[in-house]
Amino acid sequence: MTRPSSGPSRLQLLPWLLWLWLAAVIVAAFHYAPLASGFIGESSRILFFHVPMAWVSFVAFVAAGVWSLRYLAGRRNPRHDVAAEAAVELGLVFGVAATVTGAIWAKIMWGAYWNWDPRQTSILVALLFYAAYLALRVAVEDAPTRGRLAAAYAILGLVVAPFLYFVLPRLGFTLHPDAVINTQGKIEVEARMFHVLIASAGAFTALFFWIHSLRCRLAALAVRDDEARGIR
Amino acid sequence: MSSTWIAEAAAVFAKDWRCELRARHAVTTLGLFAVTSLIVASLALGPVGIAPAERIAFAPVLIWLILLFSSAAGLPRVFVHEEESRTATALRLAATPSAVFVGKAAHSFSVLLAVEAVVAPLALALLQIEATRVGMLAAALVLGGFGLAVASTLLAAIVAQGRGRTTLFAALAFPVLVPLLALAVVLTRAAFGATPPEGVLMQLLLYDASVTVAGLMLFPAVWNP
Repeated sequence: MTRPSSGPSRLQLLPWLLWLWLAAVIVAAFHYAPLASGFIGESSRILFFHVPMAWVSFVAFVAAGVWSLRYLAGRRNPRHDVAAEAAVELGLVFGVAATVTGAIWAKIMWGAYWNWDPRQTSILVALLFYAAYLALRVAVEDAPTRGRLAAAYAILGLVVAPFLYFVLPRLGFTLHPDAVINTQGKIEVEARMFHVLIASAGAFTALFFWIHSLRCRLAALAVRDDEARGIR
Repeated sequence: MSSTWIAEAAAVFAKDWRCELRARHAVTTLGLFAVTSLIVASLALGPVGIAPAERIAFAPVLIWLILLFSSAAGLPRVFVHEEESRTATALRLAATPSAVFVGKAAHSFSVLLAVEAVVAPLALALLQIEATRVGMLAAALVLGGFGLAVASTLLAAIVAQGRGRTTLFAALAFPVLVPLLALAVVLTRAAFGATPPEGVLMQLLLYDASVTVAGLMLFPAVWNP
């Protein structure tokens, strides 16, 4: 029995709330947050988009590792494999966006788009790793074998990631500004900037999980369609 | 660790070396590739072209790049050959996955050590540089070679079940091996007289341990259909 429709459900309202949230973040980034000292012109405003995008790509890659663990440790549920693949695809999109916004900022502040800064190198290697993950998926035709091998590779990524993020940057000199929260746990940015940064990180994280859920639903529909047509 | 498990791993190691001595694949691919590329690079960058101080800076990069590409050319064969000759199923029945992994990794490590024993002294001679800390050079070659062999063994088992194996191996291996190569290069440079950042040796050991544990945990899922 279907429930009579009485306007949009709460779930249907969530994407609209997300768009409002993102719009508010963009407005706040340009009109509420002050400019940071020591930066050329308005370049510090890129912080409100660059940092959240780098954060979301990190969340996406960790999520892909966790779904891959669940796939291998559990009953090899294809939904976990699809969830891991979708997380990697979105992590790459956000990672490329973080790299491009970082390169634009580097051009303004350091005079060159690419400087082989240890943090630039780390994110580049991470992007190469997850591009290789997608190449591996293309190279294996059988779905269960593809899921098994891709999951193993994604988990290997979780093992290598700490070396990319913590060891590699210590091997060279970095020009990159300090993290928002420093090693003593102290917040380094002005309060209004911190508010916008947190709101932006939350909005982009929500955007990732919303697109991810759509991508997983699409993949499930494609499987059902193939089964109905007798392809699988 | 039972004696049966050790015997299985030793049997896999011995079998791979027996196959190697018959086919001489490692000699013709890894060894010859490493020596040829080292001679070509030294010709361009050695005494003819670059100052001695600069040679010390890039010689470690050259050595490790040659070892990386030699590994990519030769090491995937440990599993690709099993799949192509259809002996993988027999191997799955004959030994436990972890014993297969350890036997294959030990074989790859011994092949790499043999290649390093030729490449490192040859690089010092051709580029006319001196290792002021021989122990550190040995540590870099052994620990770097170990990590390279273990990671390559797991990745070889993965690519053996896909298409375009050699190119796929290079694509999968490079991002995994970047931290290892960076640490090994820094340690090798320290062996030539540079001051290393603190804790590099421990970080290299930690990388080797992490990849070994991950390999032992993940290999059964990769190996068993």
